[in-house]
Amino acid sequence: MSFRDLMRMALGSLHRQKLRSSLTISGVVIAIGAFVAMLSFGAGNQRMIADQFDDLGLFTTMLVFPSATGDSLQLDEAAVDRLSEINGVRLAYPYDHFDVEVSWGDTTVSVGAQALPTAALQTKYYTNLKAGRLSDEGSGTILVTEELLDHLQVEDADSFIGQNIVVAVKSASFDSAVARLFSDPDGNLQDRFASMEMDSLWEDGYLEGILRQELNAGTKRFLDGYLNAQALTEESFEICGVIQGGGSRRNRILPVILPIETARRFDAAGPSADPMELVPRIMQGEIFSRSPLSGKSYSQVTLDLHQYASHRAVSDSVESMGFEAFSFASQFEEIRRVMLFFNMGLGLVGLVALVTAALGIANTMVMSILERRREIGILRSLGAQPRDIRSLFLVESGAIGALGSLGGILLGWLVARAASMVAKIIMRNQDVQEMELFATPLWLIGFAMAVGILVAVLAGSYPARRAARVDPVEALRQE
Amino acid sequence: MSEVRLSCFDLSRHYERGPQTVRALDGVSLELREGEFLALVGSSGSGKSTLLNLVAGLDRPSKGDVEVKGRSLSDLNQRDLANYRARHTGMIFQSFNLIGHYSALENVALALAFTGTPHTQRAEQARAQLSELGLSDRVDHRPADLSGGEQQRVAIARALVTDPDLLFADEPTGNLDQDNSQQIVELLAGLCGKGRSVLMTTHDLELAGRYAHRILRLNYGRIEDERELPQNRRES
Repeated sequence: MSFRDLMRMALGSLHRQKLRSSLTISGVVIAIGAFVAMLSFGAGNQRMIADQFDDLGLFTTMLVFPSATGDSLQLDEAAVDRLSEINGVRLAYPYDHFDVEVSWGDTTVSVGAQALPTAALQTKYYTNLKAGRLSDEGSGTILVTEELLDHLQVEDADSFIGQNIVVAVKSASFDSAVARLFSDPDGNLQDRFASMEMDSLWEDGYLEGILRQELNAGTKRFLDGYLNAQALTEESFEICGVIQGGGSRRNRILPVILPIETARRFDAAGPSADPMELVPRIMQGEIFSRSPLSGKSYSQVTLDLHQYASHRAVSDSVESMGFEAFSFASQFEEIRRVMLFFNMGLGLVGLVALVTAALGIANTMVMSILERRREIGILRSLGAQPRDIRSLFLVESGAIGALGSLGGILLGWLVARAASMVAKIIMRNQDVQEMELFATPLWLIGFAMAVGILVAVLAGSYPARRAARVDPVEALRQE
Repeated sequence: MSEVRLSCFDLSRHYERGPQTVRALDGVSLELREGEFLALVGSSGSGKSTLLNLVAGLDRPSKGDVEVKGRSLSDLNQRDLANYRARHTGMIFQSFNLIGHYSALENVALALAFTGTPHTQRAEQARAQLSELGLSDRVDHRPADLSGGEQQRVAIARALVTDPDLLFADEPTGNLDQDNSQQIVELLAGLCGKGRSVLMTTHDLELAGRYAHRILRLNYGRIEDERELPQNRRES
């Protein structure tokens, strides 16, 4: 028997038993509907995360850090150059950040700033422009994030475009530190010298105590001069654009983004006044002789990859250079793995309904076989093989599954749409940014269809085997 | 002497019914030749239908063998046996065994589904067969809308549409009145003249004696008597 014959007979049989067939198919519709609605929620969440990753260009972004183990290599300008030459890397730029004071009108706020090459501003990560345009290298313009607007209590980003702000950097002054070391600001060096007991000078520990006191006082004066008598470098900029700020802990976008040339002018003014940065400078021997820019090291370098670059290959190259690599794409794979379990959990709930529907199909098919024993006998007498009879009932149960799946997919989609609308209304009322929590992608439709047919065929397999075992002689004898 | 189409050797069919063994057929040997109309007569339970089911390949013997054109049915697997039923045999039943929700045309065309006949030719062949049996105005009727005689003729059309060598008729007149019975047996007898062999079971000894070439009487699963009727043979 051809598949066409089987289909014709199966559909004919379903058509003749309209009520029973429609009740059985309704069970499948509800089960597949629940299955699709559940998985639509999972798929919607996964798509939302993927879209956010994609919007931020994280699929083509990799971060490089100095290795945490042993005596690691510095992430300096030379390292940045070598990283940019790795196959698949479009751009490598350091995460060069420092603190600035921003003044706008009467308001002055202390915020973080970062230096970026113009090319980096073309990457997806920084192109989430809210107002204005991206800045040009050395044009006297500046890019800020919405976070700065919050600090300055500016509500309308568009109105901020074209405004002038003053960005100031406080740098520590080495000259003032040395001057303080040798000056006697308290004016009592003479008194201290006079109060020294010369007779006790050679007594055990006396001279050592005086030297320790003087050294402590000298260090205190040096640091006081270094940190407090700071030089102030400031420049005025025109706001050219406002982008979305924030970002992850590892890839945070700071409120002020300066073109790299501007940042170097600030950098040339002197070392940071941040005591936390002073310690490593002293340890690196930079406190008395500031190294040139090429010697400056960074805590992190960002790699912007070509769209189809192999993250594994780039990561291996980075690691072979002695650095650590962090790929957002790998992180997304982890998220996808978690989402898979989440989806499986949701699918399981739908499957419970499908099992109930499967029992309905099995019951319908068993009833159908009991009623059609004589028909089975006739078919066998005409030349049907047992496998033809088995196929006939499998196709019939498969047809129930297919029709039920079609209806179920439609029902599931409608439920998902309704749930999405309700969710959006709630988000709007809660003043939360609206998100699409449900998605019914093509793969889900195909998957639901396949699951529906598969479950129906499995449910029909026992009745079909029973039908194939019907003794034709007995069946033909039945009145 | 014409060619032997079907032979049975020591054919037995036993059923276990609890502690008892029912010998439905017990050591039957017979031959059916080309163009022959063989009638099996006997009372109910004599083993006529059992013999018919065995030679039609619907059942397997407990002992003995059936050979068709020298090939043993015991050697055939399910597929070959189904193919044998589809292409070489036609079955006619006492209760017609038509599918109630199919029209006469669909019932006849159904037999062609197992012979690999293309869909486009099935309806045409079925219609031609029904016309040949005088049912051209009944093709779209369902069995419930036909008389007993018409239903049996539809069943004969279904048996003939695949052009089989062997026709097995199990009490084809059992549900028909006298006139219809005669018409049906006459029809079957006429088919023998076209190179087919017919094996028919019947209670009606008189009707069998009028048309069959040979009559075998079965009793308790054994052949009790055999009678040649040369006056019914015609030159084909």
